[in-house]
Amino acid sequence: MAEEIVDVLIIGSGHSGGMAAKVLTEQGISCLMLNAGPIADVHKDTELKPAYALPFRGFKQPGLLPHVFQSNEFNANTWVDEQEVPYTYDPKQPYNWVRVRLFGGRSLFWSRQSFRLSDYEFKGKSHDGFGDDWPIGLADLSPYYSRVEAIFRVRGRAEGLPQYPDGNFVLDDSPWSGCMQRFIAAGKQAGVPVCKARSSMGVDGLASSVNLLLPDAFATGKLKAIPNVVVRELSVDKNTGLVNQVHFVDRLSRREMSVRARVVVLAAGTLESTRLLLNSKLANSSGVMGHYLIDQVYGPGIVCSVPEARDGKATPELMGGNALIPRFRNIDTKAKNFIRGYALNVSSSTRPMDPRNFAAYGEDLQKKLDSYSGSGFSLGIMGEVLAHYEHCVSIDKNVVDAWGIPALHIDTKYTDNEFNMARDAVDTSVALAEAAGFEVLSKNYDPNPPGYSIHELGTCRMGDNPKTSVLNKWGQSHDMKNLFVVDGSSFVSAGWQNPTMTIVALAMRSSEYLADQMRRGNV
Amino acid sequence: MRRRDFVKAVVAASVSARTMLGQQAATPVAPSTPPPTPAAPGPVPWMRGLMEVKPLSMTPIVPDAVAQTNAHFFIDRQMATLRRLSEILLPPSKDYPGAIEAGTPKFLDFLIGVSPSDRQQMYQSGLDRLDAESHQHFGVSFANVQPAQADQLLRPWLRTWMTDHPPTEPYAHFINVAHSDIRTATINSQAWSEAASATSQNEPDVGLYWFPVEPDLYREGPAPGRRPTPQKRYS
Repeated sequence: MAEEIVDVLIIGSGHSGGMAAKVLTEQGISCLMLNAGPIADVHKDTELKPAYALPFRGFKQPGLLPHVFQSNEFNANTWVDEQEVPYTYDPKQPYNWVRVRLFGGRSLFWSRQSFRLSDYEFKGKSHDGFGDDWPIGLADLSPYYSRVEAIFRVRGRAEGLPQYPDGNFVLDDSPWSGCMQRFIAAGKQAGVPVCKARSSMGVDGLASSVNLLLPDAFATGKLKAIPNVVVRELSVDKNTGLVNQVHFVDRLSRREMSVRARVVVLAAGTLESTRLLLNSKLANSSGVMGHYLIDQVYGPGIVCSVPEARDGKATPELMGGNALIPRFRNIDTKAKNFIRGYALNVSSSTRPMDPRNFAAYGEDLQKKLDSYSGSGFSLGIMGEVLAHYEHCVSIDKNVVDAWGIPALHIDTKYTDNEFNMARDAVDTSVALAEAAGFEVLSKNYDPNPPGYSIHELGTCRMGDNPKTSVLNKWGQSHDMKNLFVVDGSSFVSAGWQNPTMTIVALAMRSSEYLADQMRRGNV
Repeated sequence: MRRRDFVKAVVAASVSARTMLGQQAATPVAPSTPPPTPAAPGPVPWMRGLMEVKPLSMTPIVPDAVAQTNAHFFIDRQMATLRRLSEILLPPSKDYPGAIEAGTPKFLDFLIGVSPSDRQQMYQSGLDRLDAESHQHFGVSFANVQPAQADQLLRPWLRTWMTDHPPTEPYAHFINVAHSDIRTATINSQAWSEAASATSQNEPDVGLYWFPVEPDLYREGPAPGRRPTPQKRYS
């Protein structure tokens, strides 16, 4: 059995690994999937509890997960612990690296916003001269987007805007609440489109690799999967120059093992895939592996109140619902001090207001909370981060994780473009809200640290030129044709759009190409 | 791993998916509020046979309900300041307990006592300054200050702020973060929960708690921040 060579070895079980497994096994190819973490058994591993029954009353356990702002005492055990798998960075340039190693990865917990990239992203350089174009465009990926949107059951509405490409949607024909209609009218006056948001409904309330992709793969009988194994490195056959072996360690027992494979598909998530390749010292003839790290600007936004909904007058007709403002800057006009653009999540709530929206305390604060309850309206940015060669990751030889695997050092920061974009987003939000007759309560201009978005992308970017890219347009390594990377590390630019739809579509396209190449005997 | 085991886990996930894996809304929830209440999951077919062998249910109580904690991180003067601050920022209302009734000062003493040093210093210097200003302006310690006097000391520092972006100026940071911590500790207390049940007849406010999943026992778990200083004080 140790002599058996696996046909395709897939590293990672999240959105991209799940899609690769589904496509390849459905085409008759045997796959072995490795995942670093355990399978979560929701019946065994969760329990409903009140906050007061937790040791820290719901506060994050002090010192735990300092870089996962999204963590709290309830969900702390779902994230990768930073002491178990550390990373390093210059203290002046903090980075939030947010990871999940449970089987299914971050696909278990993502926010499900589902957007296509447009040619303003794929062909950004052609539009404004900065950076590089992707080697593919919307037309290349569109058929795959449509198939992915069907699997994930994306709910949305056609808007006819080139920067917000329409897709294969379950129609969202829900009516707008009164406050949203006022906001849309204010947007129209200002030339800002306010559209229906788009979200994956999935099945039974879950839109994850584990319920949408992996079951189909297992149904073919051609997928075997191993949880709790941490891949240490890949090695290469000296005669052929092709990757041929994967070395891994059992997470719990520390037993060292290896398996030989004809093809390796990396789907460990952007920075983990890159970390593995850097530690293996593979596939980097271009020298750009690790470079062009990008994510998205999150954090800046505003919180408002709709005056007509106060003092008990909030109704479902007036309040509720959410919307999406797609990028509108730098499409037909030129912004003063930044290129590219941002989207805004818009949401109206009938719930109580957050007390931090009032500079008050005690009885005075309670009166305000009672009065303003149900009148909330908020906006938050999702902004494009520019790709720079200097923003990069490398291996920190002085730090290792719990299995002795060298850690990643992350070296990036936001630039004027990101800060100016954030400022414009907040100022524009305030102007629109006031034009709609809302009262602005709080605003924040400061981006969250890079990485907070959990949309880290790039570092193994694709391109036609092997001197300036790591992968070709199929996600295949320029250096060895039996190595594919199907997660977000292949991105050339990030846009404002949540990357999941694009990651899954690219993984589908790459896997179909790989299957075809294997059938032809090319790989 | 066999297909059958995986499919079992996957289907278990699907059946009560929304409740269990709680996929988040786009807007982040304030860190102090537990996630919204999910519906209780029902038994899936292969669990039914096991219900009979489950142990008798025991209603646990939280130690707070019956026990005192004795160790102090804050010195007496800081503790007295923290108590008065808690009382003023979150007094009891008609239906709900205030911070004192909810045991908030003692809980925060514990929480800060095991927190990283930057958070400890922020609280210690903030409480010290609040007391110093009270002496300076009114000739009394903050522990003995009148509400109107406290208002003069606090109001200039109150800010509006959004998640993950508290005021950066150190004293404003302390006042606003401490206010938020006092509210969170109180709202998440058992006393508050009992008052909420009495008032609203809703389901008690619960969240989905994740246990460690197949924990790595080979390693020592992460230390919960700093331990309280060796010189314990007993009240």
